[in-house]
Amino acid sequence: MKISGVIVKSFREQVRSFWVLLLSLSMGPFFIFVYFLIMESSKPQYNILVVNGDSGILENEQPLNYGKELLRYFSAANLEIGSTPFVTTEIGDRNTGIEKLKNKHADALIIISGSFTQSLDARKHHDSLALTGIEFIGDLTSSNYLISAVWANEMVNAFALLTTHSKRIVEVTETPLGISASISGFDMIVPGILIVSLIMLMFTASIAFVAEVENKTILRLKLSKLSTFEFLGGIGFVQMMVGIISVILTLFTAIVLGFHYQGSLILMLIIAGLTSLSIISFSLIIAAVTKSANEVLVVGNFPMFLFMFFTGAAFPLKSDALFTVAGYPVTLQGLMTPTHAISALNKTLIMNMDVTRIIPEMIAIIVLTIFYFIIGGIIFKQRHLKLT
Amino acid sequence: MITITNLKKQFGDFTAVDGLSFGIHKKGIFGLLGPNGAGKTTTISMICGLLKPSGGTIVYDDFNGQGPKSLIGYCPQENIFYPKLTCFEQLLFIGQMYGIASKIIKPKALELLELLGLKDKTNERAGRLSGGMKRRLNICLALVHNPEILILDEPEAGLDPQSRILVRDFFSAFGSEKTVILTTHNMDEADRLADRIAIMDHGKLLLLDTPQNLKKTIGDGDILEIQFENGNEQQISQFAGKLGSLSLKMTTGPNFLLIKHPNVIEHLPAIKTMAEETGLIISEFKLRQNTLEDVFIHLTGRTLRQ
Repeated sequence: MKISGVIVKSFREQVRSFWVLLLSLSMGPFFIFVYFLIMESSKPQYNILVVNGDSGILENEQPLNYGKELLRYFSAANLEIGSTPFVTTEIGDRNTGIEKLKNKHADALIIISGSFTQSLDARKHHDSLALTGIEFIGDLTSSNYLISAVWANEMVNAFALLTTHSKRIVEVTETPLGISASISGFDMIVPGILIVSLIMLMFTASIAFVAEVENKTILRLKLSKLSTFEFLGGIGFVQMMVGIISVILTLFTAIVLGFHYQGSLILMLIIAGLTSLSIISFSLIIAAVTKSANEVLVVGNFPMFLFMFFTGAAFPLKSDALFTVAGYPVTLQGLMTPTHAISALNKTLIMNMDVTRIIPEMIAIIVLTIFYFIIGGIIFKQRHLKLT
Repeated sequence: MITITNLKKQFGDFTAVDGLSFGIHKKGIFGLLGPNGAGKTTTISMICGLLKPSGGTIVYDDFNGQGPKSLIGYCPQENIFYPKLTCFEQLLFIGQMYGIASKIIKPKALELLELLGLKDKTNERAGRLSGGMKRRLNICLALVHNPEILILDEPEAGLDPQSRILVRDFFSAFGSEKTVILTTHNMDEADRLADRIAIMDHGKLLLLDTPQNLKKTIGDGDILEIQFENGNEQQISQFAGKLGSLSLKMTTGPNFLLIKHPNVIEHLPAIKTMAEETGLIISEFKLRQNTLEDVFIHLTGRTLRQ
């Protein structure tokens, strides 16, 4: 009953702080709109990945690998032309390349066959039947892929002509990617912005906690029979509801503007709920070290900045794994729950993966939430609730 | 009764309360007086359970084994409330925090709002109330869980005269059935309300008695100024000499005499007789009775405190 009392009281206060609530709830939809405008007007760049499967040959006891030469040719072409929008990057294997294509980190993947050098060398030595294969992988319906593939094909043919002085020696095969490849750039940024809408909870939650300290009403609660858990739980519950409403509003705005999602909305709400709890737990740390709403707004800016720009929420972020746990990469950014939440939302909403594929992310969010809550709870109790 | 024995509180090297011992009766109004920094708020905070004593004990006898959280309602000096909740909503909320069922709190909240003149403001947000109304709401919040002991820190601060009378009557009625502990700088307030008064300074108890006894026994006493129609300074000095047998402190002037004594009224008939015997005609008596403030200043001095 006490916890329900805290819930009702906290709900009333939250509704009546309508400016803070309004700003918090509107931040996600606003970002969706801004990113929509950015994506619609941004300058294109075409990222082409290359897997050099060429095994090469020995010529005059010297290794010869035309695959490597082709990669250098791509780079040189870029430098020569100057402001070309094509960027070629060599990667180790096909699966990595396909994963990047699915995540929209690249537009086309080129696989150079193992016999590339052998075939070119044979043609060079007047074997008119020698042919080599190059595989192009990508979303055949994507204009980015088509432009990348046309350019790369031209480059490959030009390289073959330069090397062998012969035409028509490269056979190009195209492998279309699955449905995920049909997702637009706008679709790709939506999971991050959904999490941005939850990051904004950091302020409303911290202010809700610290308001009791600022108004000194914490004294009344200390005198009463209310436990620390009931106090934090009651306020946290209302903030979680605010977070879920914020995510729903953000998602609705994204859908109205053309967002296509693949996976389960229920799963999305579960991820959003867990992430809300995590942000609320982190807010407890902010509330513990502050004494007023003004202080929250000043102090809270720093973690908000980290959460927004170093987790992949505001834009895709490349990060190197420090180590792996059961195959799941752990990065420095992994200490912030939005990193895992965005990964989980990408897997469900974009790649249509089921719950079993996001278990590592869910575990990471839960572990970090508990960690934040314990740290925040201890400091908050020590600073604001403990008898001296 | 509340029995406080050798109560101590230290903050680092600073001793805020130093071996305090006294008892507070179950019914009545107990005043705790002292200058700033005397240790009043620290003592009250320990009685409420907001501060842990460094030493000593506080025992709540005859309260059916209830702990301080249920027993005590605390009205701090500063108005503490939820500005965005209505008067009724916050009384309901605070009652719930004490684990009381809503069906019990609701009528209690309405009763308190009526008793303290806030019935019209039941559904008004607390942040929009006037200063005096906020003060009265603060008192309601201390009482909503029906405590046996009400602790008030400067309860009349910020109240207009009408509100002061209403609140004073309320405290008197409450104190006739339950226990009220109040701290105040307003000596008149303490004198009017309290049955027993403890004066403390530097964390120690200086004196504990009824206001009447304190005024009778402590300080320079009542001041009587006698103006004469006739006579000169020599006659007045002669008269003063006669009064010396009554052990009164006196100051003479050209046509007046000042007498200081803890209970000068008792000596008035004798003074009048002696004046007539000396041939002096009294034109005017001016009497200022010994006040609690005089007692307070006598005990604690005039030095300003931090």
